[in-house]
Amino acid sequence: MPRLATSLLREAYAIHPCLPLLLRPCRDLQAARNELRWLCEHAGKVARLRRAKGRDADPKQLLKRLVQERAAGKPLQYLLGTEFFGDLEIRCQPGVLIPRQETAASVMHLTRLLRAALDLPPELRVLDLCTGTGCIPLLIADELTRCRQDVQLRLLGVDVSDKALRLAQYNLHQTQRKGRLSDTAKVAFIHADLLMEPFDVQPAQTLCLKKAMNYSRVPPFWDVFVSNPPYISPAAYWKTTTRSVRGFEPKLALVPPLPADPATDTEHGDIFYPHLLAMARDVEAKIVLLEVADLAQAGRVAEMAQNMAIFDGIEIWRDQPDQPAEERGAQPSRFPIIGQGNGRSVLCWRARGGSWLGKGPSPVSPLDDARRLWESHRVSSSFFDFKFNSRL
Amino acid sequence: MPPLLHGLSQRCLPARTTLSTAPFRTVLHPLLPRAFTATSLQLSKQMPPRRVILDNEIIENFLRGSGPGGQKINKTSCAVQLKHLPTGIVVKCQETRSRQQNRKIARRLLGDRLEELELGEESRTAVKGREKSKKKKSAEKKRKRKYRALEGKEAGGEGGLEGQGGEDAVDGVEEEGEKVTGGEKAADGGKGG
Repeated sequence: MPRLATSLLREAYAIHPCLPLLLRPCRDLQAARNELRWLCEHAGKVARLRRAKGRDADPKQLLKRLVQERAAGKPLQYLLGTEFFGDLEIRCQPGVLIPRQETAASVMHLTRLLRAALDLPPELRVLDLCTGTGCIPLLIADELTRCRQDVQLRLLGVDVSDKALRLAQYNLHQTQRKGRLSDTAKVAFIHADLLMEPFDVQPAQTLCLKKAMNYSRVPPFWDVFVSNPPYISPAAYWKTTTRSVRGFEPKLALVPPLPADPATDTEHGDIFYPHLLAMARDVEAKIVLLEVADLAQAGRVAEMAQNMAIFDGIEIWRDQPDQPAEERGAQPSRFPIIGQGNGRSVLCWRARGGSWLGKGPSPVSPLDDARRLWESHRVSSSFFDFKFNSRL
Repeated sequence: MPPLLHGLSQRCLPARTTLSTAPFRTVLHPLLPRAFTATSLQLSKQMPPRRVILDNEIIENFLRGSGPGGQKINKTSCAVQLKHLPTGIVVKCQETRSRQQNRKIARRLLGDRLEELELGEESRTAVKGREKSKKKKSAEKKRKRKYRALEGKEAGGEGGLEGQGGEDAVDGVEEEGEKVTGGEKAADGGKGG
């Protein structure tokens, strides 16, 4: 990282004595000024609230402490306590991943497509795995119910971290309290470990997804399947993530756990996707949206989905899928790439999902669709048998 | 003075309903509800409608650094840049932490800029600016008048024992002030035409 120029530091100091400290994480005067403005507002608000409670609080001291913490690399969202996800203000806490703008862009594009759908079922079921703060189900509920009062929504968020689940519950209450969640949407969060197989030994607290869903008496079949799993490989974690992400955000939400079988670094990063795709098949999801790190990983995930032979179509979305596609290099790809920016997510659809997304009706008859689902089950179960035997 | 005024108001309140041209009216003016309505009436001026910007007229950019995104980076800036294709006006907004709010603010800014370009003097910003400057001018005038009156009183008090001269001076100043406002009105009319 290049050293900050003395002239820049001096310029910053002339504007505000706290600004040079904020230049350390921001590296850019305009960004630092924005952060200072938000921190000032926050300090003022907190001081006012404390004074109203009868405690004395000096906004200047408060601001100084906040700026020092920010200079040490603590994410701004943890300091301010919230992050905007679409139109929603989502509460953030250390120990739970901060929602990202790119995720919001993908999810909002998906809901925009779904909003225009003519033949949505009377109850649309949305399953979000690795939900974290619960931002994705809440945003989908907010965006969809605003325009589609005719569709009942049932949303389920799943996470392995208790802290994340508590925060998701809190966010759900806050959204309801603000009146942003209409009665047509039911949101729930449950605890499950996605990497656990149904026939593994189950510890007392943790269950695999299937059992957790049975225990919570939620329906076994879901229409839309969304996930933002940990997808960074260990090498990429040390090379490409920023200091503030490495130092303050939970590694559990960023890097998949160490696999039992020896795997290369890239395979380690991709661990979640075969499991997620198998779960999407088990719940008979019509639309699957999985977030990925970049175009290379998007290509690998799309390949995995293709090999399952149950989807009618597969697309790769960039950071801004609603923008017209950019012609950068135009390398030939097996899958259409939509939008601008980095590769961000993989979208798959089958059965009625195609017509919901506006891609036209499915070319496969319902009977053939059921048959290919069955085939895929058999293939993958024989694959697991093989793994099981080889481990013995 | 306050007890006397209080007594007056009490005496006048029943009379007000029947006799509209009460002699005390000018004295009691701040006590009557009319004072509130007068100010709000001035404010509620019909603004020209906001200009509608179509989505195919603009290019929207979310300014992002190069390199990886998603979980790997935790970005705090969500600046939005709008480019209006027919005129080439570029507007950038990074006021809030919410991209959606920034988009709305940027669109409003661009709408204002376009209106200024298309309507000139009759645009929303121009009308608002004119109103603001008018208010500022009148406030300044009032302040000047007040201090001149105070100075005059002081001068009158020091100058002679009779209060008559001092009052005269105040009246003179007030007349002057009225003349000034009259002149201004004429000037405003000229501008409007």
